[in-house]
Amino acid sequence: MTVSYSGVTKSYRGRLVLDGISDVVNEGDLTALLGPSGSGKSTLLKIIAGLTPLDSGRVSLAGKDVTNEPARNRRIGFCFQDYAPFRHLSLRDNVAYGLKVQHVPRAKRRAQVDELLALVRLEAYADQFPHQLSGGQRQRMALARALAIKPDVLLLDEPFAALDAQVRAELRSWIRSLQKEVGITTILVTHDQAEAMEISDRIVILNEGRIEQAGRPSFVYDHPATDFVASFLGPITTLGGIAYRPHELELVAPDEGVETYEVRDVVRLGFEVRVVLEDADATTWVQLSHDQAKQLNPRAGQRYGVRVRAKVPTVKDAPAADHEGAK
Amino acid sequence: MRRSSVVLRSVVILYVGALLALPLGFIFQQAFVKGWSQFWSALRDPAMDQAIWLTAKVVVLAVPLNVLFGVGVSLWIVRHPSKLSRALDVVIDVPLALSPIIVGLMLELAYAQTGWFGSTFAYLGLKIMFTYWAIVLASIFVSLPLVSRQVIPLLRELGEHQEQTAATLGAKPGRIFFTITLRSIAWAAAYGVTLTLARVIGEYGAVLIVSGNIALLTQTLTLNIGANFDSFNSYQGFVGSLLLGLISVLVLGVIGIARHRLERKRYDSFV
Repeated sequence: MTVSYSGVTKSYRGRLVLDGISDVVNEGDLTALLGPSGSGKSTLLKIIAGLTPLDSGRVSLAGKDVTNEPARNRRIGFCFQDYAPFRHLSLRDNVAYGLKVQHVPRAKRRAQVDELLALVRLEAYADQFPHQLSGGQRQRMALARALAIKPDVLLLDEPFAALDAQVRAELRSWIRSLQKEVGITTILVTHDQAEAMEISDRIVILNEGRIEQAGRPSFVYDHPATDFVASFLGPITTLGGIAYRPHELELVAPDEGVETYEVRDVVRLGFEVRVVLEDADATTWVQLSHDQAKQLNPRAGQRYGVRVRAKVPTVKDAPAADHEGAK
Repeated sequence: MRRSSVVLRSVVILYVGALLALPLGFIFQQAFVKGWSQFWSALRDPAMDQAIWLTAKVVVLAVPLNVLFGVGVSLWIVRHPSKLSRALDVVIDVPLALSPIIVGLMLELAYAQTGWFGSTFAYLGLKIMFTYWAIVLASIFVSLPLVSRQVIPLLRELGEHQEQTAATLGAKPGRIFFTITLRSIAWAAAYGVTLTLARVIGEYGAVLIVSGNIALLTQTLTLNIGANFDSFNSYQGFVGSLLLGLISVLVLGVIGIARHRLERKRYDSFV
């Protein structure tokens, strides 16, 4: 189901959280709302769900205006960052809650809950209580509970933020495949650009209540519309006042005929090595692989050349019609 | 066992013994000093029986009212913060800080026939002061914050995500309140109820002033005990004290269970 919102404005305690933003989320897509904390992304998600009233603007589901519909009538599955398990209910009763509300008969309800628990691989825990589960299990329980009402849209608020790195990576790809399997339009809020790049069909980058850019992940990464997008989506290094992605600069021997710089520091980052250079106007750095670093063996105080492989192309000089990166 | 531990234990046992166990034991001993038959007839003293009955009637009205008020006010303070609710959050503790005797005097000034509200009630033909209603009022007043002080911190800790999730699952506000909110705060409220119960049963100062302390009419169990000691009928007083003490032990037991359950719930809380 298509989700669209237009002119959404929201102030909270005199601070403008959302500044008249508009977007359309296509049927079956997984969209990531990406932005730093305080950018308004969670507020936007709650407004779409009908959990937070908006000051002005409209929200539509499949073309139907639902701005004044309460959350319970929107058929939107919502998962909070803390998963909000009903602490006093067993896993089974948590998942069954929405079905009970709809007065689904007991036998049918039980069959549906079993099916959902199997889908999220929690069959063995049906009679446990939320406090007996791990973070990742609670997360999956929250998903099953939201999917129980067969929602048209799924909204996930920072679904992986409270999990440790390993579970996080696992769940990320699992959610991705589950979303494709169920085929449900999904909007996911995150502040982690790597997560957004990996999981989503489309990224919407929010900053201070405005949409900075929206588009396919690879396009937005390669063609950032603003400096904010460029630096938020990935590391940026500057040389001569121009921003580059690290892979676009190459450290070469000083006699290769390109401009040379003095090495200030060499930092080992796991497999890669970061060489910090003294630039005329700012501090520049170049990322080398372990092998490259071994070959060149840069030391502080020495001079090396920097070859530019490509300049970061910005959307500003790409054709206007292609801001989203045509598929 | 280490020596310091032995010393510490001895001090605690002596302290609790001198303050609590021995005096309680003394009451027990005094109540039975005249034998079972005397004890039995003392139990059937008409003034004391009336006092027990009145105390029960006060509990039946004051405790539920306090629960309704306590839960309602807690929800208002936590879920709909405003200048007014924040002010109430502070004011609600006044009964804990004020001496009960002052509470009694305040109520008397307000509700006496010539008082501020009292004159209005008198105009309507209703008498508040020195009746059952005055005792209920005083009991509610002194135990005002006991439920909300338990419920407010829990509501704050719980947040609104469970309720909001229930809303997205199609539940209407009434259903959310009964299946999520009330279930979540039930044990905190139960703990508040037992505290209220103990306070209402045991209140002396405020009730003494507003009830008029008329035997067979407006005397609660605590007032009856006091009156018996005042009129040198101390044996009857000890029997009353024993009853009150037993009720307290019972309430303490319930408090213990409620608090245990509550702490387990808190322990179970996560994220």
